[in-house]
Amino acid sequence: MSSTPSFLSSALIIGRKDLTLLLGRGTGLAQAFLLGLLIIFIFSLSRGIGETVSAQAAAAIFWVATLFCQVLVFTSLYALEEVNGQRQGLLLAPAPLQSIWLGKGLAGLIMLLLAQLLFLPAVAVFLDQEPQGTLMRGLLCILLTDVGLAAAGSLLGALAQGQAARESLLSIVIFPLLLPLLLAAISTGAEFLGGGVPSGDGENWLRIIMAFDALFLAAGLLLFGFIYNSRE
Amino acid sequence: MLLRLTDISRFYGQRLIFKGVSLTLEAGSVMLLTGANGAGKSTLLKIMSGLTAPDSGTVELLLSPGAQIGYMGHQTFIYPQLSALENLRFWSRLHGLHGKQEKSLRQEPAQKSVQKPAQDLDQKLAWALDQVELTRFAQEKAGVFSRGMAQRLNLARILMLEPQLLLLDEPSTGLDTRSRAMLDREILKAKERGAAVVWISHALTEDLPKADLVAELGPVSKKSTGLAYFGPADQFKAYKEVREHA
Repeated sequence: MSSTPSFLSSALIIGRKDLTLLLGRGTGLAQAFLLGLLIIFIFSLSRGIGETVSAQAAAAIFWVATLFCQVLVFTSLYALEEVNGQRQGLLLAPAPLQSIWLGKGLAGLIMLLLAQLLFLPAVAVFLDQEPQGTLMRGLLCILLTDVGLAAAGSLLGALAQGQAARESLLSIVIFPLLLPLLLAAISTGAEFLGGGVPSGDGENWLRIIMAFDALFLAAGLLLFGFIYNSRE
Repeated sequence: MLLRLTDISRFYGQRLIFKGVSLTLEAGSVMLLTGANGAGKSTLLKIMSGLTAPDSGTVELLLSPGAQIGYMGHQTFIYPQLSALENLRFWSRLHGLHGKQEKSLRQEPAQKSVQKPAQDLDQKLAWALDQVELTRFAQEKAGVFSRGMAQRLNLARILMLEPQLLLLDEPSTGLDTRSRAMLDREILKAKERGAAVVWISHALTEDLPKADLVAELGPVSKKSTGLAYFGPADQFKAYKEVREHA
């Protein structure tokens, strides 16, 4: 006999296991981080000698790097359950199915934040950016955007898993859905890097980020069970 | 009654695997599920577990509150990068078994052997590893295990849960003689503590004496639902002889 673990505790158990596996294995992680760094480096080659990259372009490059990293991270996270049929084990556990989505979302969020610890200095060095905005506000915008990316990534990662060419499928599905969130993230990023806000004001973009966070979180909670349980 | 299937049918694409399958399983009974390859044994077992939904019919499962289903399929559910102990700990926590940290087990794995499941999680994990004779491999990565060892670890995962319903899909695959004897022992123990066991097997000669009931799946036709036989194990041999002579 046992007690059914709560939604949150199950999510933490799954998230902790995923982080142990990803950080322990390292290979998938290195690929995701290196891809992001490469994107930033390659874009840095596009500017001529003496030219500066605008704050908005730098923020866009930062988020494109993050987005590709996100695809690899969530593909890796869901691939962990495809080696020996562990997905069936998760489905049979008494915990709510959404705890899988949340656990993998939390693990993915931590991985994204770790990746951005590398990407931020890379943007500063390769794209010659000096952040002018408030650090706390910049970090808050990054964190809030990452919450939305993780919520959507965890939901759509489950959808792409088990399919042929899952990385490309995930990219095709996820990029259009994330566009509004990314536009807002780029605008707030541009503000942080000191280029000013291109259109509208920062507060409105922040509200858009929070609205999409709420949307993706709700979609994850509502839809994950159907997606993850529907391939039998 | 612990499990009742009523009028179950299932398709694979356009192909009907079985239709109108009805059977009941009581607590403390062992049912052998047999049939030719492709007859739908694994599918029926997955339907019993809840992993697969039937296309029609109902599944009633009357487990006690907090009781678990132990499902052992063709795959081992093992994370190769985690140690045997870490694998068991993950699955036990996910199934709501709680306890202290594992430090005592790490220090003295061999001394934790006990005769029956203990309440403390560490002891329970040690007990489960001991039952499948993997105590000295507790800290090794499961990825280096042979097929038989992985299957034993899978069995330990099930034993630790003390499930009320045990669903085993050809569990002796990859096991040596000694491990098979251990598996038989564990099935008997599960039965003695009141668990129901459904066991897919092709080794009828060996496994029939251990079963109380037999369900045989056969081809679906206008006359047959796909459930060719469902009844007492001791009458199954006579049924087979009659059928062969017919």
